[in-house]
Amino acid sequence: MDLMKSIQVAVSGLKAQSGRMRVISENIANADSVPQNPNADPYRRKIPTFQRRFDRELDAETVRLGKIARDQKPFQTRLEPGHPAADRNGYVKIPNVSSTIESMDLREAQRSYEANLNVVTSTRRMIQRTLEILRA
Amino acid sequence: MRGELPLLAAIKGRLQYHQSRQKLLAENVANADSPGYKPRDLKPFDMMLAAQKADFTGSTTPAQTQAGHMAGTSSGGLGSKRANVFESTQSGNAVNLEDEMMRLSQNNSDFQLASTLYGKSMSYLRIALGKRA
Repeated sequence: MDLMKSIQVAVSGLKAQSGRMRVISENIANADSVPQNPNADPYRRKIPTFQRRFDRELDAETVRLGKIARDQKPFQTRLEPGHPAADRNGYVKIPNVSSTIESMDLREAQRSYEANLNVVTSTRRMIQRTLEILRA
Repeated sequence: MRGELPLLAAIKGRLQYHQSRQKLLAENVANADSPGYKPRDLKPFDMMLAAQKADFTGSTTPAQTQAGHMAGTSSGGLGSKRANVFESTQSGNAVNLEDEMMRLSQNNSDFQLASTLYGKSMSYLRIALGKRA
């Protein structure tokens, strides 16, 4: 039945978007994860990617979370001479996470998630209508 | 189905059309963030054509986008076409969520119309048969 397939396609979208939210929340949680010693690197921002995949069983194009890439942007530094991770000049490397970018990404993921949820609700309503033919 | 009333056959085709359309719209929404994805939609439904063709199936054929794809077995009167898009992001994705939501609710209410119409037609048939409607 095509309507069940629509729900499954929307569910693949829900899964991908919630996986994206997981990666974004990892970034936000680690926004201040500085290294323990001067030689180590701080937390490097993760970038979620999407992959579309043709599902032969559903006969439809579904989506899933692809490889999680690492942001190659250089780390910023902060002057903090007393820190255990400070280098010879007193600078500490801090993660390349920008909370503005992350919160915008989160908002976008939320919006796409809601859109997929809308598809599920609307499809369920259509199934309900089909069943109502029986009662008429 | 042979020997089916043309009106009921047409309504059935229409219900199947909206099911297929719902699936395509679900694909569009699910791929709203996939790079390079172009949204698709079905051609508008032709009720007269469906009423004339008794063996109308209303199914769609999958698009063969790569050389290794097998041809679909179902052959209906509907083909999927690329939806009209006017903006696309840098990643080549051209899905507009607002647009898709609008199509979705339109599809939903059209489906409701068709199913109500089917129920009404059946109750009229029951009146003609002399049973309680």
